[in-house]
Amino acid sequence: MEISLDRDRVGGLSLIALGVLATYVAITWYPLGTPQRMGPGMFPAGLGILLVFLGALQFLLTLGRPVSSFKIRVYSPLFILGGIAAFALMIVPFGLVPAIAGVIVVSSMAELRFRIFDITLLIVGLSLLAPFIFSFCLGLPIDLFSWPF
Amino acid sequence: MDFFQNLMLGLNVALSLNNLFYCFLGVLIGTVVGVIPGLGVLAAISMLFPMTFGLEPTTALIMLAGIWYGTTYGGSTASILLNLPGTPANAITCLDGFAMAKQGRGAVALFMTTIASFFGATVGIILLTLFTPVIAEYALNFRSAEYFSLMLMGLVAASTISSGSAIRGFAMVILGILIGLVGMDSQTSTLRYTFGVLGLLEGVSLIALAMGVFGVAEIIMSVRRVRAADIDPETLKLRAIWPTRDDVNRSWFPMVRGSSIGSFFGTLPGTGPSIAAFLSYAIEKRISRSPKRFGNGAIEGIMAPEAANNAADQTAFIPTLSLGVPGSATMALMLGVLMIHGIAPGPSMITDQPELFWGLIMSFWIGNIFLLVLNIPLIGLWVRLLTIPYHILYPAVLVFICIGAYTSGFSELYVWMVFFFGVLGFLMRVLDFPGAPLLLGFVLGPLMEEHFRRAMLLSRGDFMTFFDRPISGAIMALTGLILVWGIWSGQTYKNKTAQNESSNDST
Repeated sequence: MEISLDRDRVGGLSLIALGVLATYVAITWYPLGTPQRMGPGMFPAGLGILLVFLGALQFLLTLGRPVSSFKIRVYSPLFILGGIAAFALMIVPFGLVPAIAGVIVVSSMAELRFRIFDITLLIVGLSLLAPFIFSFCLGLPIDLFSWPF
Repeated sequence: MDFFQNLMLGLNVALSLNNLFYCFLGVLIGTVVGVIPGLGVLAAISMLFPMTFGLEPTTALIMLAGIWYGTTYGGSTASILLNLPGTPANAITCLDGFAMAKQGRGAVALFMTTIASFFGATVGIILLTLFTPVIAEYALNFRSAEYFSLMLMGLVAASTISSGSAIRGFAMVILGILIGLVGMDSQTSTLRYTFGVLGLLEGVSLIALAMGVFGVAEIIMSVRRVRAADIDPETLKLRAIWPTRDDVNRSWFPMVRGSSIGSFFGTLPGTGPSIAAFLSYAIEKRISRSPKRFGNGAIEGIMAPEAANNAADQTAFIPTLSLGVPGSATMALMLGVLMIHGIAPGPSMITDQPELFWGLIMSFWIGNIFLLVLNIPLIGLWVRLLTIPYHILYPAVLVFICIGAYTSGFSELYVWMVFFFGVLGFLMRVLDFPGAPLLLGFVLGPLMEEHFRRAMLLSRGDFMTFFDRPISGAIMALTGLILVWGIWSGQTYKNKTAQNESSNDST
């Protein structure tokens, strides 16, 4: 997918937004204190202002030149991050082995091709290897299977 | 003598069966990670980080350090045999190493780079042993103003020198510090940037951050792009392993020069092994009487950089262990290990925890000997690793990342943190922001704030305290110089790359 955006310009604006957010939160909710006895808000507020300044600088430096476009990956982040989300959602209610299967199935789709044999092999292999390392060798308390209902 | 007593103490610690085992495990994993391109040392260390929780801090550090210097050994193997640098520090070794492999001298190149690596590491370890206690003793007089200035210099140098643009690097340092401030403020117990999430009370997990920004983002960018290597059996025919007399004669001085350059740049914040390797190659080429041989299999062209990057790997520990100020993201992770085990890094650590410091240093010797043994006879095995297809490798890596994150706190919140930092890491790659300064800022941020507040309290709110005190003032002046130089060189870098920067990313 191609997006016609200038990455320097977007980067600069993102920095400004983050800086404004950090400073706003720090000033509104955390006491600033005095320079001698600094409160919890002073340091982060200062950092936020610095971030706004750097973002503005980066943005201004792009103004003199033509806008360049860049391509962005869509499927790779979707499925890779989806795999991690699947693990996070499944580990507590269903246990380790189903969660492992979840990561592998979802993240493998980032290949944009479904290799059923390789995926099965990975699930079987890692479902044996991971409990061996984490439960048997390291003695960590993880349920291999559980059932929420 | 006191010094030798310390060395013996360290040797005792390092030679215990437990530490020997984890040292071996560390360098073994390091070699594997170094050989496989697309699996970085930072991601590897953060993935294995949770496994070290149950270990003694010394053992944990010995293993993680082993991964760090093991990758540099392993990286040269991929560079020489396949023209693929396993780590950035080995990139320059491709030029002459692969040329040698094509001439059927791959085995000689592997053998000689192993020797060069061992030589460079030895020089680095000797300097580390001699200088770290001296610097630490001197630094015992440092107060908060000095510490703040030192950390600022480290961050400025790391963000301006290593990455292309000073603005981007510096912005990531600040973002890192802000992420580091999340959680309960140590002085007033105010909750900052937790947005009502109770699990964030103790702050963001270093492991989740490192795994997300480096591990997950790296995988997102590599899927469907990294291919398993096609190995040409011709280059792998390891005919003669022994170098000729000419090879040995040519190698001696490049190795010495490489080690010196590497040792120097290893200690500086922001430079490290990659820059050391590039510089030592450039210098060898410049002073050579026959520069035309470089790129066509000149042995000097592999000996100098491999000695340099290994020396730099070791001397990088000098500022980390003596001052508690890490110069690179990997060193920041090492400090993180100490902090998680409740050890305050800093100049008093060497006297307070002598077994830890001396044991770690002596383990470097042992680890390097292990690497020597691992690398020379097992070359064939490492090469076979390169044929594992990426579509098998990356889901497995993700599984280990998820389990590692989950077991670091036994809560799915840590897995969600990896998810969040995976998103951040991906966006940073898209927008061309560097990850290493973010991690450095994250680790140093809370310490910097503490020192800043304490220094301001002592000076009654006078900001000039950072410039009036002679040592702090000198460090501040140096920081200013680095900043100016960084911005200037960043601009020239930008002009150079402006033409071919249009689109280097695809779906």
